[in-house]
Amino acid sequence: MAILEGRNLRKTYRLSRRNTVEALKGVEISIEKGEMVAIMGPSGSGKSTLMHILGLLHAPDPNHGPAPELRLAGEDVAALSDNARTKIRARRMGFVFQDFNLVPTLTALENVTLACDYAGIGGKLGRQAGLEALALVGLEDRANHKPSELSGGEQQRVAIARALVNKPEIILADEPTGNLDSDRSAEVLALLRQFNREHGQTVVLVTHDSEVGEACDRVIRMRDGRIRDYGQRAAATAAAPVIAVPAVAVPA
Amino acid sequence: MRLVRDLGRRKLRSTLTITGIMIGIMALVVFGSMANKIDALVKGGSEYYKDKVTVSAKGGTMGLGGVLSTRMVDQIETLDGVDVALASTMMMVSDDASAVSMGIPPMIVGSIAGSDKGRETFKLNYASGRALTPQDEGSNVVVLGSDLSKQLKAKVGGTVTLRGETFQVVGILEPTLTAPDNEAAVPLAAAQQLLIKTLPALIADKLNVNEIATGLVVYPKPGVDPQKVADEIKAAIAGVTPMTGKDFDKQIGAATSVLSAILIGIGLISLLVGGLSVINTMAMSVAERTREIGIKRAIGASRWRIRREIVIESAVIGLIGGLLGLTLGFLITALGNDAGRDSGTILFDLTFGTALSSVTFATILGAVAGFIPAWHASRLDPVAALRYE
Repeated sequence: MAILEGRNLRKTYRLSRRNTVEALKGVEISIEKGEMVAIMGPSGSGKSTLMHILGLLHAPDPNHGPAPELRLAGEDVAALSDNARTKIRARRMGFVFQDFNLVPTLTALENVTLACDYAGIGGKLGRQAGLEALALVGLEDRANHKPSELSGGEQQRVAIARALVNKPEIILADEPTGNLDSDRSAEVLALLRQFNREHGQTVVLVTHDSEVGEACDRVIRMRDGRIRDYGQRAAATAAAPVIAVPAVAVPA
Repeated sequence: MRLVRDLGRRKLRSTLTITGIMIGIMALVVFGSMANKIDALVKGGSEYYKDKVTVSAKGGTMGLGGVLSTRMVDQIETLDGVDVALASTMMMVSDDASAVSMGIPPMIVGSIAGSDKGRETFKLNYASGRALTPQDEGSNVVVLGSDLSKQLKAKVGGTVTLRGETFQVVGILEPTLTAPDNEAAVPLAAAQQLLIKTLPALIADKLNVNEIATGLVVYPKPGVDPQKVADEIKAAIAGVTPMTGKDFDKQIGAATSVLSAILIGIGLISLLVGGLSVINTMAMSVAERTREIGIKRAIGASRWRIRREIVIESAVIGLIGGLLGLTLGFLITALGNDAGRDSGTILFDLTFGTALSSVTFATILGAVAGFIPAWHASRLDPVAALRYE
């Protein structure tokens, strides 16, 4: 069953009066529930734009062509209001970004519980969920540290805990390993893979790194605002992880 | 807690903004307290003059001015609408102009105790000692108002010197916040003796010291309009000016309400400046936090949440500034009153209402000022905000 389905997805950005960029030129996409998909392509190919639309951060352009369609678990979400899209982002999606994007003044735990708060889970319950999520990424003993006191890999793991804390249906990751060395990249990727396997969460990640792509079930390749290759779903029976899951070690 | 950390992140700017609000609220508290004092004074006067007619010699007002004769009392009591009339003699405690500043200068007021025959409704409470009695006539005794007693450092049983004469203090009043606080009440005869000494010898020689007064207090019969009584007095007796409560309100009330408006206006202008600086601070802080706002929006903070966060933060800036301003204003008014007590000038009356409304006002001002930047922040595109460096 497709959890995300898009058709006629277009997005044109207006940089100035005369200068417009056609970032997406009519994309059709379908992502299965429980899939871990990588979207790859050169800079400017529209992969981030596609992710922003799939993550309901932006709405697809409604004009200049056939009407865009976007379904989340069968529900039409193409033309929702800002408030409705925000609510879905808060409760049903988790985001991981390239530069971690933690709030610098908040501790690791507060960063994670922020997401609970926005999803309507406050107080003790949120705190409990936050601590559990931090334990899942192996950072329970760093709960009261500020982002500036954590390494890059640790920050990204906090961000993953924040993305996971509400047990969302979909995790969207924009270059999650872009700012990490290869060991830390492997850790982060292993975590995403683990949650995908163990909890059935759908993971969509945008990446430049072909090794990251290879670790996914499928690689979608984009160029010039269009999808060139939908990729082959890896055998569902693949028992062994493509990348060995290293024990999540806390650097001394 | 998070909020305090956010404020602490921009220490200098938050401090400057809070200082701005603080100065505005301080001005509002100080000037407001001054206006309170004037208002209480005027309200007390208005209350006192409301139900009576005060007769002065032509050109005088409020029972002060040229010399009248106590024989007029009988003449006035024969008039239709008049219930009771009595003579009073008033003069300043000191002719020294430097003692005269804001409000009413200390006054000596002489009248025969009980001559109002129970008509006076303005209630006086005694902090210590007793009220004057008719038997005090002929002796030099005095009941002092609260402020005046402090200025003269007087105690019941002690003595004070008024215009060169020694008086025994028999009573001290509770504060009334109006004219009696600065008055020395003495028997009529004693006041007459003091008054005659102030007059030029040529005039004084022609007067009977037992018949002089500076004013007459006239109580109309119940249900009679004081204005009607005033008109009757004007028609019947030449050379006097009757004044009613309405006349008092017109003369004094109008002048002081302008003064109060100016004082409060100054405070409000300083707050407006403070409010603009809150807008500036919050706008800068929103610009600085663009990326953070982008993150929060992306992970599911609604526009309303973002607005609320910023409005609350600026309301807290207003609240802190307001509390500091109130503290400073309280110190200034307390020190000012302490310093002024020796010269008998109590300038400030910081009421609970003034304190509460200034702090509330500062908080609301902060919240309103935060609304513009908050609105701007809530309209940011999350993706663009995330990319903002």
